[in-house]
Amino acid sequence: MYDEFLEDIAQANGLREVNTYVKLVAGLGAIILCLLSTSFFAPLFIAVLLSGAIIILARVDIKTYAELFIVPFWFAVMSVLVIVLLSGGSPVYWSWDPFPWLSLSISRESLNEGIFVFCRVLGGMSALIFIALTTPMTDLFIVMRRCRVPEAVVDLAMMIYRAIFMVMHLLVQTYQAQVMRLGYSSFRESIESFATLCGSVFIASWDAGEDLVRAMDARCYAGKFAVLGESGPVNVYSLAVTGSFLLVSFVIVVMTKNIVAI
Amino acid sequence: MHIMEGFLPLNWAVFWWVIALPCLVYGMYRLKLVLDADREALPLLGVTGGFIFILSSLKLPSVTGSCSHPTGTGLSAICFGPWITSVVCGIVLLFQALFLAHGGLSVLGANIVSMGIVGPLVGYAVYRTLRETRVNMFLTVFLACALADIFTYVTTSLELALAYPAQVGGVGSSFVLFMGIFAITQVPLAIVEGVVLALVFKYIVQLKPDILLRMKVFPEEKISAARGD
Repeated sequence: MYDEFLEDIAQANGLREVNTYVKLVAGLGAIILCLLSTSFFAPLFIAVLLSGAIIILARVDIKTYAELFIVPFWFAVMSVLVIVLLSGGSPVYWSWDPFPWLSLSISRESLNEGIFVFCRVLGGMSALIFIALTTPMTDLFIVMRRCRVPEAVVDLAMMIYRAIFMVMHLLVQTYQAQVMRLGYSSFRESIESFATLCGSVFIASWDAGEDLVRAMDARCYAGKFAVLGESGPVNVYSLAVTGSFLLVSFVIVVMTKNIVAI
Repeated sequence: MHIMEGFLPLNWAVFWWVIALPCLVYGMYRLKLVLDADREALPLLGVTGGFIFILSSLKLPSVTGSCSHPTGTGLSAICFGPWITSVVCGIVLLFQALFLAHGGLSVLGANIVSMGIVGPLVGYAVYRTLRETRVNMFLTVFLACALADIFTYVTTSLELALAYPAQVGGVGSSFVLFMGIFAITQVPLAIVEGVVLALVFKYIVQLKPDILLRMKVFPEEKISAARGD
């Protein structure tokens, strides 16, 4: 089910060698610009551009990317419907009052609000997926350390990172073994099997974690994971592309601030 | 409960970050104290984080700009207290945003407040209240975990309602609406989560009780009684 994390794609993407900070500035900058925007147009522009960058520059398979976008897309559609129905406004096209304290309506203003939030989610999600697909977590640990995040927290983050893969591996194995023995044939059985699954995997991965720390202690671990912090050099080309992307997006945010969809 | 990237307007995203940050800083301080005193806590903290990651990735979509899933934070709050749990949750939520595109970065503050701060605080309060009483140990764990889960969703509903108040009835009526939609999926999930985590706790008591005793999670008599010694 989670056999393939985005992490695997990130380790092999076309922008892997680009400096981590440049990629982070592009992604985080896009998120901030989406939030600063007051119209639907700029976030939509950012979403299209970043999706292009993910597919063409990072060479991520278009099908994988589309599948990744489907879940947030439906999420956004459903959530925006609630906002459209709740936010009122005028002129009203349709309305219904099921309870005295609740009035549902569709109006031009609420449709505009819905389209705006929908595009902001698309823009934000594409920026988030851009960071997720181009920057492996291991590179982010180095950034965390450079940003003076306390050692204990970076250590814990690395331990959790390792634990996720240990837990996942054991979970899949044990779960498959349970399914083969009809462990999920009825509701009651499922609850019992699921609890056994969680319990045994918890204890087993805890043991594995202790072994890991013991192995590290034997190699002079004193509360600080040593990592090689070599990120690719800042390349003029990537810097220019990121800079012009952010600049153009910013100009669009400012110029389109009063544009409404309908 | 992971609110997705871009769903909250800028002012609310910043507001929840401002609330989350001091709690995280205090949590980091407590974490350092625990790790300095007992290095063996590191693997347990790591595995707890891994578990929270997996449990809270089992998501069901919900119509509220968010989703429904178990949280798994109750057990961590009981073992390590709510503040360290908030740091663990912060790391887990960051990983989920970057591994699974689940949640987001600007909304991370809001997600930490609901899943990493309010939920664990409620769970911890329940546990502290019942710890010294005659209430069964496993029932205490069940209640703490289930209530931590439910209050995570109450907080998320509040966050959504504050950002998107209804025209008629304002924050109150959109809170009731968001809460109503969540309740359908979340009440059964919280009960299942409470049962599952209580059983996980039973395994720990049977197989590795020493760390529970060292961290004084429950009085020694209760743990030995549960082990049948």
